[in-house]
Amino acid sequence: MTPAPGFVPYPFEFHRHAPPDPDVAAAGNGPVVPVVIVGGGIAGLTLALALAVQGTRSLVLEADDTVCTGSRAICFSRRSLEIFERLGVLGPMLAKGLPWTGGRSYYRNTEVLRFEMPNDRRQKLPPMINLQQYLVEAYLVEAIGRHAGLVELRWQSRVTGLVAGAGGDGPVELDVEQPGRSYRLRADWVVACDGGRSRLRDALGLKLEGTAYEGRYVVADIALRCDLPTERLAWFDPPSNPGSTLLMHRQPDDIWRVDYQIGDGEDAAAAVQPENVLPRVDAHLRMIGLGRAWSPIWITLYKANALTLPRYRHGRVLFAGDAAHLVPIFGVRGANSTIDDADNLAWKLALVVAGRADPALLDSYSDERVQAAHENLAYGRKSTQFMAPPDFAFRTMREAVLALAVETPAVRSLINPRQSSPVRYVDSPLNASREEGHGDEAQPEPAAGSVLPSCPVRWLDAADGERPGHLADMLQAGRFVVVHFAAEGPVPPAWRELQKQLLDECGVVLRTVSVRPGTDRSDADLRARDTDGDAAALHGASPEAAILVRPDGHVLGRWESAGGAPIGAAIRTCLAGGPGRLERA
Amino acid sequence: MTDSELDAAYTALCEALAAAGEPAAMPLLARFALLAMVEIDDPEAVRRLIARAAAATEPR
Repeated sequence: MTPAPGFVPYPFEFHRHAPPDPDVAAAGNGPVVPVVIVGGGIAGLTLALALAVQGTRSLVLEADDTVCTGSRAICFSRRSLEIFERLGVLGPMLAKGLPWTGGRSYYRNTEVLRFEMPNDRRQKLPPMINLQQYLVEAYLVEAIGRHAGLVELRWQSRVTGLVAGAGGDGPVELDVEQPGRSYRLRADWVVACDGGRSRLRDALGLKLEGTAYEGRYVVADIALRCDLPTERLAWFDPPSNPGSTLLMHRQPDDIWRVDYQIGDGEDAAAAVQPENVLPRVDAHLRMIGLGRAWSPIWITLYKANALTLPRYRHGRVLFAGDAAHLVPIFGVRGANSTIDDADNLAWKLALVVAGRADPALLDSYSDERVQAAHENLAYGRKSTQFMAPPDFAFRTMREAVLALAVETPAVRSLINPRQSSPVRYVDSPLNASREEGHGDEAQPEPAAGSVLPSCPVRWLDAADGERPGHLADMLQAGRFVVVHFAAEGPVPPAWRELQKQLLDECGVVLRTVSVRPGTDRSDADLRARDTDGDAAALHGASPEAAILVRPDGHVLGRWESAGGAPIGAAIRTCLAGGPGRLERA
Repeated sequence: MTDSELDAAYTALCEALAAAGEPAAMPLLARFALLAMVEIDDPEAVRRLIARAAAATEPR
């Protein structure tokens, strides 16, 4: 990519990947591939890696010859980092990414809000890091390379058609095109990770639903050396750009993201021309005292949408990421919800491909992630209504908030961006609590469907040696975990028998974890010492409490005291895809 | 009122104003202010709030 005059390139080598060997590609008419992932962006790469760490093979088809150009997503949440940690790809991301915990908002020249995201000493990971999407994708490609036998990544390979079988029992057939060659591929499962303009979505005649227009934004990456800290900076109606709302984010390698909304009357093609963008950016940098020492790298126009497919499973074709939903820019829910999609789908698809779970389990992927999308859309929508008011009413009320914010702290929360936070799968068919006869109100937090919160513990090895760590370290790709909180003693004896049954009958691994305030003599697979009782308190655990956790870290069920039976039933119900399914089976 | 309750109340008022349309929005706000005064039921507090609202109209 040759930069336009005055522009500088990203300080990153975009490695160009060759298409696959034509003979290899032609073998597509051969055996049925278990999982084909269409699209090698964040969704497709995360999913391929998440399947690989469970030993599940996949084939990724990417139309382009390199990772994404332009920095695109830049904010990655704690939840996303937790997922990347389980996939073994966190190291380079933490090493390169810039952690941050809060931000400031200005109305004209006055600071009206300083916010902090939830963060305390219990946390292992920062609430957010800034990192260019091309780096995230490059790290994922690198990590996938360590699972070479399990993931085949085909660059310059475009799916031109979905031929047959999407709804039926037989394999799905895809037409694939690479330079100088096209071929047909058969797959048991196809995951559409082919982005906002998904071809597979069109091929199946599916339509996104919701609001197709939530504003247009000019997004610019610039090279700028300065001492400002990493935080979210927002200006409402700044003197540099009267009437506009402008955001700035620091990225690694002295790159800054600047974005601002353009008016409904403005011509989009003209709005992204350097002669229109650069003076606005320059005026702003001068206003905050950063002079002229900067260069543009990349300018694009972003159209905000608030849309989702009503369902993400269509027979043997599943949708994830932007192919499934498009969320507004504010609140950083695009890439982060995509990573959550991949994490939710990976363990379920791996179990189904291995014949360990009913394909109905994949319906829960749709149920849970559609619910999450609706939550993300509602939050994104609310943020947009404040950041880019849709009409005179929201504009007038926003002016009132900004004018009062300095003297009236109580209204400041209205300015606070609703940043991405973990979603609880409230209505999941997998949640075990419902069958237990107590409603949600009766259940202490974290209730079924929530992400299990983590906190520091001391892990004990076989010789009772202690190693500091965090409770979430117990999660392993594709494995269920049951945690036993008690003052002392062994885990319920029935658990050992249950582990054996699940492994023999379903091929499913259940790990047992004991959490004890003192030295732990239990016979659990993993033993944690909870010296000051933090872990037990955080989990609302009564003596003898048991919490069953899914491979993606969400709580499947919890019991005040549990033998093997209810835990086994909860896992079997999960493998069947929900309670209704089990009765029919 | 929690942050999210305030948020919901704020959005409800925005939506009511938008539904009324710009010409009818000012009268709606006036009616809302009057109802709020009655609800607050404290002449001194109301006087203070009017003064603060008036002082805040010209941001720096």
